[in-house]
Amino acid sequence: MPYLSEIQHRRVIEPNGNEVGKLADIAVVPQGQFPAAQWAILSTPSGEKVVRWGDLAQEIGHLRLRNRLETTPDAQLPPEALRLARDLLDKQIVDTHGAKVVRVNDLQLSEVDGQLRLVGADVGLRGLLRRVGAETVAERVAGLAGRRLPRGIIPWHLVEPLEAAHDAPAKTAAVRLTIPHAKLALLHPADIADIVEEMTADERIAVFQQLDLETAAEALQEVEPEMQAAIVTDLPEERAADILEEMDPDEAADLLQDLSEERRDELVELMDKEEAKDVEELLTHPEDSAGGIMTTDFVALPREFTAAQAIDELRAKKPDPQLTYYLYVVDAEGKLEGVLSLRDLVVAAPETKVSDIMDPNVLKVDAETPKEEVAALIAKYDLLGLPVVDARKKLLGTVTVDDVVELMLPRGWKKRSLRSIAR
Amino acid sequence: MIRTAAAVRRRARVRRASILAFLAVMGPGIITGFAGNDAGGVTTYTSVGAHYEMMWLLLLSTVGLLVIQEMCARMGAVTGKGLSDLIRERFGVRWTIVAMFALLIANGSNIVAEYAGIAASLQLFGVQRIVSVPIAAVLIWVLVVFFSYRIVERALFVLVLAYIAYPISAFIVGPPWGEVVRDSVIPTLPIGQAALIAALALVGTTITPYMQFYIQASVVDKGIDRDQYRFERVDVLLGAILTGLNGFFIVVVAGAVLHPAGIHVDSAADAAQALGPLAGQQAQLLFGVGLFGASLLAATIMPLSTSYAICEAFGWESGISKNFREAPVFMGLFTLLVVVGALIVLSPSVPLIPVILVSQNVNGLLLPIVLVFILKLAGDRRIMGDHANGRVSQWIGIGTAVGASVLSIALVAITIVGAAP
Repeated sequence: MPYLSEIQHRRVIEPNGNEVGKLADIAVVPQGQFPAAQWAILSTPSGEKVVRWGDLAQEIGHLRLRNRLETTPDAQLPPEALRLARDLLDKQIVDTHGAKVVRVNDLQLSEVDGQLRLVGADVGLRGLLRRVGAETVAERVAGLAGRRLPRGIIPWHLVEPLEAAHDAPAKTAAVRLTIPHAKLALLHPADIADIVEEMTADERIAVFQQLDLETAAEALQEVEPEMQAAIVTDLPEERAADILEEMDPDEAADLLQDLSEERRDELVELMDKEEAKDVEELLTHPEDSAGGIMTTDFVALPREFTAAQAIDELRAKKPDPQLTYYLYVVDAEGKLEGVLSLRDLVVAAPETKVSDIMDPNVLKVDAETPKEEVAALIAKYDLLGLPVVDARKKLLGTVTVDDVVELMLPRGWKKRSLRSIAR
Repeated sequence: MIRTAAAVRRRARVRRASILAFLAVMGPGIITGFAGNDAGGVTTYTSVGAHYEMMWLLLLSTVGLLVIQEMCARMGAVTGKGLSDLIRERFGVRWTIVAMFALLIANGSNIVAEYAGIAASLQLFGVQRIVSVPIAAVLIWVLVVFFSYRIVERALFVLVLAYIAYPISAFIVGPPWGEVVRDSVIPTLPIGQAALIAALALVGTTITPYMQFYIQASVVDKGIDRDQYRFERVDVLLGAILTGLNGFFIVVVAGAVLHPAGIHVDSAADAAQALGPLAGQQAQLLFGVGLFGASLLAATIMPLSTSYAICEAFGWESGISKNFREAPVFMGLFTLLVVVGALIVLSPSVPLIPVILVSQNVNGLLLPIVLVFILKLAGDRRIMGDHANGRVSQWIGIGTAVGASVLSIALVAITIVGAAP
């Protein structure tokens, strides 16, 4: 995927190989999600010349005109056209309130449907290094230290060129970019988390104030743990407590564990009674044990239930999908007796007792089991979840595969930009 | 009759509104002028003042300062952006690195000078630098990070008022005004290394690169727009005159008192003698308080504004209310400047007064680089529209840049030749 800094200043040659100038800039009309390159601005000995992008062919190391320069027609840039290098590069990306966020260090281009399109703004250190030709060297140095240079690319469809200051002398000198919050809410929470991590502290708080509670909770779960704590500390208490209530109890508990004791107590106090109870229970377990990562939401069916009753129960409770991988059967005191799958339940005759179709040999762990061991068990037996019990076999909660997936992957993998894969 | 009364009232209202509008935008120019009277300024003017031959250069520098400060204030009002912001947007990453490196070195050497000023002034009161410098550095860091530099700013402005002693002294001492006027009007060329060092220090301390970034940032911070700019112009004018007059009176007094007595300025105690005719036994106290206030004030603002300018250029998080995790470069740079500035001065082998003069030479050497960026930006109609530099401003600006460059090149050349066997 090329960057503007890599193709700007490339040599432009005629069909016969005669060099006529260099590529000075690329112009787009900022419409649609990923605007296509429509014009090339060439710097030739006789001044700038605008040609249609289609009149050029990209070859390795240079660009070739399809016709001789004299026979290539001059193109006119419409007033709404933006020149990437002149109007976008080096500008600030500001949020809708006008506070600064970051600077456009480079622009990412990509061939989409046979057209070169503007797909992202590089606001990270890599872009800055690339501009001075030091990316490769820096990458190697970072590699020696066993680290990777962070990427910082904001997908273009989240960026809106905006004309600021109506009385600005030249329209293009005042182009500003913005990440509209409304657009942000349409994203997947994991993507919101990535973007939020790049923002300033004030901007972050503004975003978490404006998102709806459910999205805010999901996005917050995806944010780096240290930053989670900072966000929850800076948010108004009421709002923070509301978001925590919406989060999975195990995630909320992890987060609360990173806060100061004082702040933690304040927030638990403000939370809904029932949610607070779950979270407090989880807080008593060490963070890196099965008890610390488990969720106290699970589906427990009394042993005397019939299959039909069990299905009615599920209809009524509407549990989250990851909680229906396994259904647990407990006795009157909540002791774990067996496990059955949704399929077992659905194919059984309605009058069958769940205790007759369950598998009584359940693999289980106690709350003190280290989380790495839990992950190893889940991986070894290809499970989707594991029940956690106390010394008297009472079911306390479940660890599902998504709670431990990070432990199974090589370090740092989840943080790698998945956008390039997802696109 | 009634219509006339209404018109008078209206006119009075308009005038009152104008005065209020002027007072509202006042500040950036005058504060920058004040900030120019730092350790480097006082020391340079005093030691140059041993003779009046440089008077004409001081006047020319003041004109240059006025014109360039006006450009930066105008850029701030028209674009709403800081100087480093504009440099980055107009010239790209590589040139930004050049400009920011120049600024970092110039301001870094200024910070060293401010600590030298703190050390020298407190030495007058018997406090050794091994005590005064670390305490000052820690104090500055803590005040800025945990409190607000505005508190420091206000408190120290009061101390800087001690400089009022110079104009008063000038009239008590009764310098040879004829000679002063003659040397102000008739230029004498600085010949030889010592004279060039003095000349470049004089230009470098009057028009510091730092002041240009600072005034533009202040104008932007105050939200002065192009409608209010005509009032801001007056403020800039007053600020530049303040700087020029301050330098003028220090040179006059130093020349009238120190030169006849054959005193060469090697220490703060020597410099303080210039105030002897006014304050007698209290001259050291008066001079020391002024130098201390000015140095501490600049030592506080300088690392802060340098970090702001550099982070603005590269799009790094900045702000003193952020912590090291949120704004690592900003806080790191600020801390580094405070620590390194103090450490250099702490070494007992570093002579305080010469260090201050050298720092002003560094500023003079780097000034042309910064001026080129300012002139190109302020003259660019794509950025400034109808507010781009007129012919007069542009030529005075170019003249200043060329003058500073000639002095720099001559000094470098003569030093190399002199160093050669």
